Amino acid sequence: MLVIGILVAIMLIAIFFSGCTQQTDTSQGLTIVVVGRDSASGTREFFWEHVMGKTNFTQNMLEKNSNGGVYQTVSSTEGAIGYIGLGYLDENVKAIKINGIEATVANVIAGTYPISRALNMFTNGNATGIAEEFLKYIDSDEGQAIVDEEGFVPKTATGPYVKVDGLTGSITIVGSTTVLPIAQLAAEAFNELYGSDLVAVSGGGSSVGVQSVGEGSAAIGMASRELKSSEITSYPNLVKRIVCNDGIAVVVHPDNTYVEDLTLQQVKAIYNATYTNWDQI
Amino acid sequence: MNIRSKRKNMFTFSKRNFKEKSIKTIFFIAAIFGVIIIFSILFFLLREAYPLPTDVWSFLSGTKWSPTESLKFGTYPLIVGTLLVTFGAMAIAIPLSIGGALFISEIASSRVRSIIKPAIELLAGIPSVVYGFFGLIILTTMIKDFFGVPTGETWLAGSIILGVMAIPTITTVAEDALKAVPREYKEGSLAMGATKWQTISKVVVPSALSGITAAIILGIGRAVGETMAILMVCGNAAIVPNPLWNTFSPIRTLTSTLGIETAEVPVGGPHYHALFGVAVLLLMITLIINLSAVYLLGLLKTKHSASGKKKKPLISANLTAKIKKIFTSISLLFVLFLLYLITGIIVTGILVIIGIIFWFFIKKLSEKNIQRIAFSAIGASVIIIIILLGIILTYIIVNGAGALSWEFLTEAPRNLGRAGGISTALIGTLYLVAGAIAIALPIGVGASIYLTEYTKENLATKIIRTAADLLNGTPSIVFGLFGFAFFVLYLKFGFSLLAGQITLAFMIVPTILRTTEEALRSVPQSIREGSYAVGATRWQTIRRVVLPPAAPGIITGAILGIGRAAGETAPIMFTAVAFSSFFPSSLFEPVNALPYHLFIVATNVPGSAARAAAGGTALVLLLVVVGFYSIAIIIRNHYQKTMKW
Repeated sequence: MLVIGILVAIMLIAIFFSGCTQQTDTSQGLTIVVVGRDSASGTREFFWEHVMGKTNFTQNMLEKNSNGGVYQTVSSTEGAIGYIGLGYLDENVKAIKINGIEATVANVIAGTYPISRALNMFTNGNATGIAEEFLKYIDSDEGQAIVDEEGFVPKTATGPYVKVDGLTGSITIVGSTTVLPIAQLAAEAFNELYGSDLVAVSGGGSSVGVQSVGEGSAAIGMASRELKSSEITSYPNLVKRIVCNDGIAVVVHPDNTYVEDLTLQQVKAIYNATYTNWDQI
Repeated sequence: MNIRSKRKNMFTFSKRNFKEKSIKTIFFIAAIFGVIIIFSILFFLLREAYPLPTDVWSFLSGTKWSPTESLKFGTYPLIVGTLLVTFGAMAIAIPLSIGGALFISEIASSRVRSIIKPAIELLAGIPSVVYGFFGLIILTTMIKDFFGVPTGETWLAGSIILGVMAIPTITTVAEDALKAVPREYKEGSLAMGATKWQTISKVVVPSALSGITAAIILGIGRAVGETMAILMVCGNAAIVPNPLWNTFSPIRTLTSTLGIETAEVPVGGPHYHALFGVAVLLLMITLIINLSAVYLLGLLKTKHSASGKKKKPLISANLTAKIKKIFTSISLLFVLFLLYLITGIIVTGILVIIGIIFWFFIKKLSEKNIQRIAFSAIGASVIIIIILLGIILTYIIVNGAGALSWEFLTEAPRNLGRAGGISTALIGTLYLVAGAIAIALPIGVGASIYLTEYTKENLATKIIRTAADLLNGTPSIVFGLFGFAFFVLYLKFGFSLLAGQITLAFMIVPTILRTTEEALRSVPQSIREGSYAVGATRWQTIRRVVLPPAAPGIITGAILGIGRAAGETAPIMFTAVAFSSFFPSSLFEPVNALPYHLFIVATNVPGSAARAAAGGTALVLLLVVVGFYSIAIIIRNHYQKTMKW
């Protein structure tokens, strides 16, 4: 009895591991590994609207819940392609030219690089007090310098920030992890300028940000996307402030020698699995 | 005796009685708390899942999960993914853990046992986000390069990680079952001249079989409910592998869907309701798994208890043997068929021939040689477990040691964790854990006092105990979603320290309840009777006689609870944490926590400085959790050695 049981168990294990013998054919070219963001991501939504033309991604796409996750996988997988914010580019991934235009901050500002979007902050009604001053700070030369330093795309600054008197208390800023680096660094500088902890920043995600500011538990909410219709219904008084722009780079592994330049149509064809091998391009 | 003093006596007696009664009521309330939690989890998940954006049938059978673009809410690929990953994990974990359990309980000398057993238990203390971190960086790359596949983020990677994580659960429960086999059985068998292996395979294992099965089922429950590690290693493509046995296909589980999508989803939309639908589905699956484990463990208890009644078997022994034979041959044929489907006729033929040769070979072998082979297989499985533990620990220590410094522990994170230290995360974890234990300890201890001291076994205690077992097996991410729906949204706590503390407390109540109950039960009945005999009330007996010797056991339970709470990410991810560099100034502010800090720095922050910081955070987290576990193990061992009745 026991021996038969063990035999059955061994065979089941053999079945599991026999799956490991299913070698994919690597003799020709390199299989494309499509990497994207999760369904709830603002970046994915943007990519879906502006690159995919609202058509479906391939079901085989690996989904990551952060820019860093996409970066990690693309930098360690030879055949991978992914999309991440410009701030995440370094020598471990290779950014691809889109329609012949390099993915740089300058090209986004010039309006020639096609994949970019706005990053937003929301307040419930018009901002007042510390929140208003902080948003002014971000719009100022100092704030947009931080934007530039972190690899995001600055907008035209409003000139140097002028310190005001009589700011007391503290506010919290909650939301998108994409906007978080800017808010965090701006808050560090802002607090230092006033010599007191006026602004605290937390992550949580775009939805958490919108919800927190709508419910009043945070003074400012950060979101890497526009408001959804359900959110506008729930929180009709939210006021949007654009922090800066964010270019989205299409990246591959640095050893990928197949491509330097893709058209938007080719990117789309990769993401809907019309192309499955780098040789096809 | 005059009337007056008699009346006074009566008065004090009834006052005493009142006190006793109210104490009992308090403990009863603590005891039914677990039942209340289970039902409120179910209620609030269902409440948020309603209305499902699609009908229930297409929710379960739809083959496409695309909740934002084409608004398709089919969970079929997620269910298949969950089942396949679990199946693979069990293919790895079951042989290793049964081998480990047999080694610890039957073969190892007491000195070896005192090293191996804590080592395997430490494996349980490694936080799942640390496993995920290891899997993401090392395992997936190894699989990709070794097998030459396009990506290592696959079903196989998920199964290996989950398998390793399930090993301690299965090993410890199976070892308990083996230990519960009465000594006389073994002695009888050995006295008849059976070898040690014959005794193990023909006497010990069969009589512990239901316990071993329950251990496996609990391991399955652990694997099904795991979130953070699986989310980081298995690719998360919502597809059914093609062909089904393609272990190199990326895969997506129910838990990882919840893990990656919940934080960003707009509250109240169809996607939101669908995610809570997924949570309900997950809870249902684990409830079924855990109920069957509870049932099987119950069987084990009745089997060894010496009740005078002997049930007449429904069918004769002869017939059962026949049925068993038919059943095994059918399952053997089925497995062969599967093998044929997957590998084709040639490989199957070779395997069958090898199997038959192996079969005759075993028949020919002397009992002594069989024992030798069996024992070396068991030894090999233990060695593999130890090596796995060693690899993971070495990797984390080597990667983290460089970042570790006094400043790293005491400074607040700057520049998104790339500079500065982890003080806010460390303090945040301490706050969370302290609050959780302050809430969970009274409930857990109160419930176990009620169960052991105030009642006999009846339907009520059975329900309470089952609820605790179910709570124990509920996936941590389900607690997270419940906390989000109930504390954050319904009670409007917001993302707050308090919401996180209560959610974590609910999660560790069963751990504390169980260990406390064991400790209370190990206090001999005669001591209680002695106390009653000198006129002490029940409460006095509990307070002065039962609790003091049980205290080390209770402390062990509390420490195990602390360790579990400190290492968990999923329950706090949607209730309490924020990546912040501030200390919370009130219970209603969010906090940073070590596992979350690690998760964010490892997956969300670019640059090599972030990777170094992630390594350091992983090491600190590991040290914190393993530290708590080691203290618990030391207290338990000390207590086992010194407490003799």
